[in-house]
Amino acid sequence: MNENWVLKEDEAVELLALLITSARIQLDEPAHYGPLRLLTASERLSGMILERASGKSRDFLQANVERIPELHMRMSDVDAYAAGLDALCREVAECLLRHSSLEEKT
Amino acid sequence: MSDAVLNNIRSRRVVREMSDAPVSREQLETILEAARWAPSGGNLRPIRYIVIEDAETRRLIRLVAPGMFQHAPALILLCLNEEVMIEHSLPPSDRALLIDIGTAAQTIMLAAHGIGLASGPVTSYSKEAVRVILNLPDSYSPEMFICIGHKAESTRRGMKAWKKITWRDLTHWERFPPP
Repeated sequence: MNENWVLKEDEAVELLALLITSARIQLDEPAHYGPLRLLTASERLSGMILERASGKSRDFLQANVERIPELHMRMSDVDAYAAGLDALCREVAECLLRHSSLEEKT
Repeated sequence: MSDAVLNNIRSRRVVREMSDAPVSREQLETILEAARWAPSGGNLRPIRYIVIEDAETRRLIRLVAPGMFQHAPALILLCLNEEVMIEHSLPPSDRALLIDIGTAAQTIMLAAHGIGLASGPVTSYSKEAVRVILNLPDSYSPEMFICIGHKAESTRRGMKAWKKITWRDLTHWERFPPP
């Protein structure tokens, strides 16, 4: 478990602003904008903690910063969008494993 | 209509990544003067424009505007002025108000393009948070931001079209056949 602080208070408040305002505006927007807002939050969080993150996460975070904006543009192609999200889900699972004790046991 | 006007209409794009290059006060005034000529239902002109250049104010606005991907050097906020609406008995549900916002927004974006600037509209933001940040009078309803700036060298591409369309796909000539 990495106990280092990677997020500053100002950054956390900025992320909260994004999440809370996204929740409100989602009531007025098409349903498929929901994933877009979550991905935007993921991109910003990745960017915020990238420099202070450990080697276990850094490549994954860097990839998020670079690829999530590209993923946004695939929204109109549902299959490609789902495939891109599936790839992200696999990578987040791999990142979780690097942070868990399971990897050390195998 | 001249070729210059048609070319301006055809070549304008929504820009979602902007550089740090500044926009001058003179350029903004040129855009706002063009907006004054946008068509308005009944010529009532219920829209008021708020220009935001201050860096910290723009930063805070962006934090409550999840749809604002741009780091634009200038923002123009289109507000409906409810005092004008009350004066002319326009209910908030009057569709002419939405049309006014649309014509003003397009005029602003074409004017910006015409003087070599990039623009992008943003409607995904918390109105209440924007009210607080800008100390908006109660009679002002914040309806749309237009980001104004310069296109970044490496720019985020626009969203792909859901399907390829031409003007013919959008147009029907004359009467529909009887049911």
